[in-house]
Amino acid sequence: MNNSKRLFVNVKPGHTFLDHLTGKTKVRTFLILIFVLIATWDIRVILPFLFLFIGALISLKPDWHKVWGVLGFIIIVNLFNLFLMWLVEPNYGLNVVGGSTVFGRLNGFYVFTYETFWYFFVRFSKFMATFILSLVFIMSITPSEFAAGLYSIKVPYKACTIVSLAFRYIPDIARDFQNIRISMQARGMELDSKRTKLGNRVKQNILILAPLIVTSFDRVGNIANAMDLRGFGKKKIRTYYAEHEDTKGDRIMKPVYLAFLALLIVLTVEKYGFPSAYEVWCPWIH
Amino acid sequence: MSEPVIVFRDFSFCYKSQQKDTLKNINLTINKGEKVLILGPSGSGKSTLGNCINGLIPFSYEGKIKGSCKVAGIETREANIFTLSGHVGTVQQDTDAQFIGLSVGEDIAFSLENDAVSRKIMLEKVEEAATTVGMQEFIPEVPYDLSGGQKQKVALAGVLHDDVDILLFDEPLAALDPAMGMTAVDLIDQIHRNQKKTVLIIEHRLEDVLYRHVDRIILIADGEVRLDTTPDELLRSDILKSLGIREPLYISALKNAGITFGPQDHLEDINAIDISRYQDKLRSHFEAGKPQLRKPHVSDEVILKAEHVSFSYGDVDALKDVSFEIHKGERISVIGRNGAGKSTLAKLLCGIIRPQQGTISFHGRNTAEFSIRELGRLIGYVMQNPNQMLVKDMIRDEVELAMKLNHCDEAEIQKSADDVLKMCDLYSMRNWPISVLSYGQRKRVTIASILSLRPEIIIVDEPTAGQDYRHYTEIMGFLEKLNRDYGITILFITHDMHLAIEYTDRSIVFTDGQLIADDYVFRVLSNEDIITRANLKQTSLVQLAVKAGIDPEEFIHAFIEEERRNRESHE
Repeated sequence: MNNSKRLFVNVKPGHTFLDHLTGKTKVRTFLILIFVLIATWDIRVILPFLFLFIGALISLKPDWHKVWGVLGFIIIVNLFNLFLMWLVEPNYGLNVVGGSTVFGRLNGFYVFTYETFWYFFVRFSKFMATFILSLVFIMSITPSEFAAGLYSIKVPYKACTIVSLAFRYIPDIARDFQNIRISMQARGMELDSKRTKLGNRVKQNILILAPLIVTSFDRVGNIANAMDLRGFGKKKIRTYYAEHEDTKGDRIMKPVYLAFLALLIVLTVEKYGFPSAYEVWCPWIH
Repeated sequence: MSEPVIVFRDFSFCYKSQQKDTLKNINLTINKGEKVLILGPSGSGKSTLGNCINGLIPFSYEGKIKGSCKVAGIETREANIFTLSGHVGTVQQDTDAQFIGLSVGEDIAFSLENDAVSRKIMLEKVEEAATTVGMQEFIPEVPYDLSGGQKQKVALAGVLHDDVDILLFDEPLAALDPAMGMTAVDLIDQIHRNQKKTVLIIEHRLEDVLYRHVDRIILIADGEVRLDTTPDELLRSDILKSLGIREPLYISALKNAGITFGPQDHLEDINAIDISRYQDKLRSHFEAGKPQLRKPHVSDEVILKAEHVSFSYGDVDALKDVSFEIHKGERISVIGRNGAGKSTLAKLLCGIIRPQQGTISFHGRNTAEFSIRELGRLIGYVMQNPNQMLVKDMIRDEVELAMKLNHCDEAEIQKSADDVLKMCDLYSMRNWPISVLSYGQRKRVTIASILSLRPEIIIVDEPTAGQDYRHYTEIMGFLEKLNRDYGITILFITHDMHLAIEYTDRSIVFTDGQLIADDYVFRVLSNEDIITRANLKQTSLVQLAVKAGIDPEEFIHAFIEEERRNRESHE
């Protein structure tokens, strides 16, 4: 029943400052910030944002047990990724930071340089900032607000509706899947990981998909009819029940995200207008 | 005075994919403010008729239209579905799929959103519509926490806006338990009276709809209007049985007593029936046919025994200290509202989940000793929706699947498959693709696929959900045969009380995870306390018996026995 919550998605809006913002503000702020993070490799920009996002995450009063679960996983994957990068090219910093100050070496190829580690630190911060931002966004928005927010930035509403419909019906489909699984188990399908080989289990899960697809198609037909009957697609424009009027928070956030937008423009102009030889700023080189 | 709002003239419709007309030469007028029941067996064309009125035909379903259909003065084939949806509000059968929004408020607002109504007005209208259907407390709730009846109320609220003056209900009772069904019929009636809307109800459950007055019944069969008359006249006639629609039980009971009706008999409302006219005949018939109390089971051998079984999901107790016995060859109905613990019980019996306390034993052996696969060979589980069970393309493959999964040897598989196909009258169709089968046939294939492992008990979940009386009779007749000729013990999970009355001997009733009754069906159904607690509906037989001064329990018992005798002599 609470499948949707397991996906970190709230269907009901929460009660913190960020929750109370409109979908419009949430989507706009998120998109601008994501582009800022994509555009820059400058730790002076990334680090303040990282702390800001951590603050935002704390302000949401999330279920830390779940948050640490994903966060831990992401940190480990990320560190592993950096380790692989180092294995392939230990002197990576030379290309992107512009220096190679060796402070240790294993052999002629595997060296430790300050620049490479600086780059890895920046990369890690950037990735974590992006991830925490996304996490905050997902946890603070309901699918309907998301649809309304996308509509506010001129995404056609039929596309927006697909997003909220997907969230509406995922739990239903998950329940169908459970039911089908149960009936197959009762007929003798062994899905226990201890007793069946992985290959076999994959094959059997594919067998379950056939009835799942048939039942889902039945449902899609019914949904489409229900939408037609209530005038979906009647007009070129649409309003959203989930999109409430601007609150004080929205009025505060508007200049804030506009400032972020200005920053994004500055960063983009700088990146393409005045490209520097090395993309990653480093305090002891520049 | 009477102003026609729906007018069919020489109307025929043929779906693009079909050769024959689904609707043939329909001539029909429905006036403003009328409340009309469109009655007919499955496949009669009654839903197609509804779709012609709300515009899904020809908008979503293509086909050839002949003649004219005008709704609110608009020729439907020339209009688009949006214009029509401004006049006709449709509540569909599938309460889940038509709930589009992620909250009650949002779903009610869906048509307003599409109309680009400003949010301020939207809030007022949603509140107003929610209040009309009694869901104002639930506006922020999410669909996953609502019952089928609540979802249906939301669907109704979602089409109540503005100038919608025709309300169309497509099988509104199909997904509801008996008590919810009563509430729904009552709500429809209130809205009809208070808001002066024209109401069309498409259903085959005549007795349930007649819980509240309808002005007119239009009987559809084979795509034609067979009868267009008042409820009284329809009930007096004998046409229903021949068309495969179930008569109200009290009418059947009166007719069984040899009572014939004339124009002076008013039969629509059981409370208004003048019983003095029939009392003597009814009583003498009852006295003559008083049955002996039989044991509900033919064999004394206990096949399955649950002792103090409890199970909970997290903090939620799904079953609390449940004990019962099942004898070989019994037919038992497991009754209770959604969430009462019926499906948890089924899962426990099949071994998909295991009791947290207590034991379930099969022929005296604790089922904890068996793996889920071993249990599957002893106790089979047939799901409600056959489409959720069928995984193969061919009937024979489907029947063989369970045996293959259990690694039976090839010769055994062949033999057993042949036997089961014959048992289920599917042998001549064994090489057919499943896609061409009707719902009832699919159901039979799923049962065959379960029987291939030769279980001693099968659990059948809502075998007749959404089926009209003819298909219902077909499926139930088949299950009855399996029980009688092959001694298979059957547990029916159901909220259909007709099914319990006609085809089972004993009922086990659950409420909130507790077993509240385990007795003869006629005793359970004449016990008012159990009926209320389990969200059931009092059968009209009880009301009739009380009116005639007969003991309800004995009366139901006699009725059940007589119907069974009739059914057997019919075969």
